[in-house]
Amino acid sequence: MSTRLLFFLLLVSLSSCFERMVDIPEETIGLAPIYGEESDKLIQLMDPQPIVSLYKIYYKAPYIYAGETGRGVHIIDNSDPSAPKKIAFLQILGNSDIAIRDNYLYANYENELVTININDLDNIEIVSRLENVFDKFVGDLFPEGYSGFFECVDPTKGVVIGWSEKILLEPQCWR
Amino acid sequence: MKPQNIFILLFALFLFACAEDGQSSLTPETSISGQGGSLARFSIVGNYLYTINSDQLNIFDISDASQPFLKNTQFLPSNDVETIFPFSNWLFMGTETGMLIFERQAEGTVQFISRYDHVRSCDPVVTDGEFAYVTLRATGCRNAAEGAVDVVEAISLEELENPQIIGDKELNSPRGLALDNDVLFVCDGPAGFWVFDVSTPGTFETITKVENINVNDIILRNGIAMVIGPNNVYQYDYTKLPTLTKISELELE
Repeated sequence: MSTRLLFFLLLVSLSSCFERMVDIPEETIGLAPIYGEESDKLIQLMDPQPIVSLYKIYYKAPYIYAGETGRGVHIIDNSDPSAPKKIAFLQILGNSDIAIRDNYLYANYENELVTININDLDNIEIVSRLENVFDKFVGDLFPEGYSGFFECVDPTKGVVIGWSEKILLEPQCWR
Repeated sequence: MKPQNIFILLFALFLFACAEDGQSSLTPETSISGQGGSLARFSIVGNYLYTINSDQLNIFDISDASQPFLKNTQFLPSNDVETIFPFSNWLFMGTETGMLIFERQAEGTVQFISRYDHVRSCDPVVTDGEFAYVTLRATGCRNAAEGAVDVVEAISLEELENPQIIGDKELNSPRGLALDNDVLFVCDGPAGFWVFDVSTPGTFETITKVENINVNDIILRNGIAMVIGPNNVYQYDYTKLPTLTKISELELE
């Protein structure tokens, strides 16, 4: 084998190192998965909740629905766009998408399409559940819309319903 | 109230109703639906709710909004469909390898029209019927192929059966996007968002750019751009471009 070829191979192997290898810090701040417990498997309207990582946006006057993949949607009163106000959190475990017609909000919940009457936010009502219309949500294996280190998901611990900031020791996952 | 005023009021209401559900054309309707961003997998058009589930398009009849039922399931010629965007009688879908175009037909059925393919990456699509714009994101896209790039592409729909790329622009890590006439907004992740003049087909002329914010998706509505990032919802007035005025910033901590 010629020296040139060896040099070339070395370069190739090095370049693949540069692409693949990431310096894993001994300690860093990143995200860790929050695993859902049985009690979380509820669809309910809650007081405004802290957010971890928003991803999708939906609008129907006068509200903005800021989606948090796997957890649900933050409902924001946007009657005055110069002063939007977080008013509630609609928890829907395993949710990724919503759509709204009139007073009805459609959402994926596990393998179901759930229809929720949101006419009265203090008294929401599930009016329809269609089962087996979606693949069951198994939780995100990575935090959507995030770049950086995170704690790898351990599927044996359950469904990932969200992510929280945490000090990570030698994190093995990143994106 | 004078009859004239009532007329004006009714007309305004009519306009408002149209704006709320501007993408419906098969079925006239009085119901009001919301508006999703380009990353949406759910979309309401007319009396149907279209949902994407990897390689399936599930079509729900929502004529009775409180009692939807599954009308039809269409298997898609791609198992990595990520987004759906309705325009007129078409449904555009962003896949990891490109874009699919379907035509909506009566009775909640759809007909496959064409596809446009590129290297595997992450990409939503928007369109005005004449041109489609897709963002391709390689950065932070878990399935991105080697050689995938971070760009926004303009695709001519002159022949709907044969979409052709006519231009592109390299960005940082583009995500959701939105179109208002010839003005294209593109979220570029941690690099902020761009506002492009796309009046010359295939070109992206920068009107303005907002930096130092992290954004994923965007909705344009009544001259207001609602932009969402991992921790914030920003709103900008874009009626006086090139000036973009921030109306509010809601930090959701």
